[in-house]
Amino acid sequence: MAVVRIVTDSTAFLPREKLEAYNIKVVPLYVHFPDEIILDGSIDNKVFFEKMKKTSKLPFTSQPSPGDFLKVYEPIINNGDEIVSIHISSGISGTVESAATAARMLQTDRISIVDSMVTSGGLALLTIAAAEAAEEGKARDEIVDLLEQLKKKMKVLFVPATLEYLKKGGRIGGAQALLGTILQIKPVLMFKDGKIEVFDKIRTMKKAMRRMVDELPEKGQNLRITILQAEAVETAGILKELIEERLPGTAVEVMGISPVIGTHVGPGVIGLAFLQK
Amino acid sequence: MNEKQEDIFTLHGEDLRHMILSACEYFEHHKESINDLNVFPVPDGDTGTNMSLTLKAAADALLSVNSSSIGEVAGIAARSSLMGARGNSGVILSQLFRGIARGLAGKDKATLYEFGRAFQYGIVYAYNAVSKPIEGTILTVAREIARGSREAVQSSLNIVGLLQIALESGKKALDRTPDLLPALKEAGVVDAGGLGLVVFIEGCLQSMMEKTSGKEATGYKLTPSLVETRKKAQNGPEEFDERYPYCTELLIQGSGLSVEKIRSELERWGDSLLVAGEDEIVKVHIHTAEPGRILQICMQSGSLHDIKIDNMADQYKSTHWAKFPAWKNLPESKTPENNVGADVNDLVKIGIVTISSGDGLANIFTALGADKVIAGGQSMNPSIEEIVRAIESLSSEMVIVLPNNNNIRFAAEQAAKLVEKEVAIVDTNSIPQGLAAMLAFDRTASLAQNQSRMLERAQQVKTGEVTFAVREARINDIQIKKNDIIGLADGNLLVRGEVVNRTTVALLQAMLTGEEEILTIFYGSEVSSSQVEELVKEITAKYPSLEVEFHYGGQPLYYYLFSLE
Repeated sequence: MAVVRIVTDSTAFLPREKLEAYNIKVVPLYVHFPDEIILDGSIDNKVFFEKMKKTSKLPFTSQPSPGDFLKVYEPIINNGDEIVSIHISSGISGTVESAATAARMLQTDRISIVDSMVTSGGLALLTIAAAEAAEEGKARDEIVDLLEQLKKKMKVLFVPATLEYLKKGGRIGGAQALLGTILQIKPVLMFKDGKIEVFDKIRTMKKAMRRMVDELPEKGQNLRITILQAEAVETAGILKELIEERLPGTAVEVMGISPVIGTHVGPGVIGLAFLQK
Repeated sequence: MNEKQEDIFTLHGEDLRHMILSACEYFEHHKESINDLNVFPVPDGDTGTNMSLTLKAAADALLSVNSSSIGEVAGIAARSSLMGARGNSGVILSQLFRGIARGLAGKDKATLYEFGRAFQYGIVYAYNAVSKPIEGTILTVAREIARGSREAVQSSLNIVGLLQIALESGKKALDRTPDLLPALKEAGVVDAGGLGLVVFIEGCLQSMMEKTSGKEATGYKLTPSLVETRKKAQNGPEEFDERYPYCTELLIQGSGLSVEKIRSELERWGDSLLVAGEDEIVKVHIHTAEPGRILQICMQSGSLHDIKIDNMADQYKSTHWAKFPAWKNLPESKTPENNVGADVNDLVKIGIVTISSGDGLANIFTALGADKVIAGGQSMNPSIEEIVRAIESLSSEMVIVLPNNNNIRFAAEQAAKLVEKEVAIVDTNSIPQGLAAMLAFDRTASLAQNQSRMLERAQQVKTGEVTFAVREARINDIQIKKNDIIGLADGNLLVRGEVVNRTTVALLQAMLTGEEEILTIFYGSEVSSSQVEELVKEITAKYPSLEVEFHYGGQPLYYYLFSLE
């Protein structure tokens, strides 16, 4: 049976070890600063946020071009293998379209493109699940089916430190209603149908984190949890403790977010992505 | 027996009308002493005012009534007092009228027996309207009056005798209310609502005594100018200038109203302008091309009531409706002309009506997503009609109401029954609770889901209130002098003091358990920004791990309102 290779994009922000372990290929997005364009994930997050702070104008982001996808797809297809390419939600990025265009250009039916409807930790969890299935020898369409199932169970919740970045980047979605509330609110946002919507409005960060933890399932079996944070290591630590209180013994990974996502949510964001098989 | 005595074994419409009008006037004179009875020394001595306004609504409606049928008079009194009902006692009073109207429906005149029985109906309605009837309140007094007069109607007493028995029963029951409600006992007063009812009966008795003894009935005193306006409004079809086709009439209720000021604001917008009234209630009548603008201008002076806008051209264009007969019967808001631009989505979404006081707080509620904020709160109870109007003004078919006050919840429940929309009331008892509820609102969830989530969230918040005592009192073993600064936690009086900020800190201290994370302070219209800043400095120094936020609330009477969560 043909080998199925997994392809994703830089917003999944998977660590190098995982990428190498499963032989996952990444197509990067771009961050456009006034003085240079950088590949998402090519510089350290700390460096990136420093640069962002120093730059007066907020950088903007762009999706990979079809050519960028071709560069990754072509060798795999020529090798006789198949591809499952899973990406950041089409609700907030045109990445999936670029991928589809590239696949069409190759005129092959051996590429399946999956819109994750989420990004960051959520996309990472789905990508790993796909990679594990591929390793088990599952066929391409089986993997796609699996992903469609898991997408329904995937939950991504996050609390940005401020709504300013989402607003300026144009991805604020349903959170638009939370601008100018006068009262200080920590918005707990979620992905719904691929777009950003308001999950709840909480007064303090600690309560907001408890609110997110409340959404975790009762039992911890087959549960994969990832904490997402940007410049919020301490807060992530508190969130991890809260999760461990709720579900002792469950493995919780703490991940950063890619600069592209950082541009849109801003530093100080804390979030949770989880999936129960 | 002479003819006059004969009459009052049977009540005619005119008798009932006269009785209510006189009783209303009598009540006016006594309302302050009723206000003074309110147990809580917070400046919300409303009961007298609320009942008075409710009665006035009935009296106003009855002024222009000529009907001699007692059923009709009772019905008018019931409907108008319902619409004008304010506060718990006002609503219960209006329910009494409703029951009486039910008992007298269709009757031209009534024997005392029939009248007594109608009063029994009134009690049933009053009890049914309250979800948790509490003994020791106006309900007890009403019940005892009904019981005492039940026997009286069987005997051969005339109306004066009947009312005397009713009054005796009422007074006895009133005297016992402190035995039924510990709060009354501790404060050393009888129930204010109960007293209000007794006063009303006394007024009825007075009027009947005067009538039978031949004295001039005092009746409800109108100011001459209001009489003018009413007469004019009743005389035939008006002169019609095509430039100003909308005949617009309304009542403005407020305080310190100036007829001259309002007149000068409205003069340029039309003709046939009449502005009449005084201090708290002003009637406006104008022919204009822009009725909306008239309403907006008047809204700046107070709340609007009895709004009537007629297109005088309609009389001259009766053929207009003949072309589209079906439209004529549709409720106003649904005829296509009026519905232009209304999004179908608007009809499906849930709207939120909230009651608040203070312009700052109104802004905050609106910023959090409230569609309509009614001015209300402790000393300005909105009437059922105001709540109904607010609900109907939204384009949503489903509405959530946040009363934010125990005193208003009842009126809100009644309002919900009067509208055709689906209304869910979230039982919030304070403005901080209301704000917490707003945060829990999820526009993608159902009405029922929202109602329970919002209530749950509201109850997780602790409310602090700092105000001044309007009278001496002893509550929770604390002796309070008039004008003391008092602090309440979720309605419970915990501290007193002489200095506002200090008392606030004391209240906070009494409320903190150590688990709280954030304190949000809303400062009232009597507090300066430097004063609240000082308060915040003191609090953050004393409790460094507590997040403190403060906002301008603008509320009257309450120096500070705060939420602790």
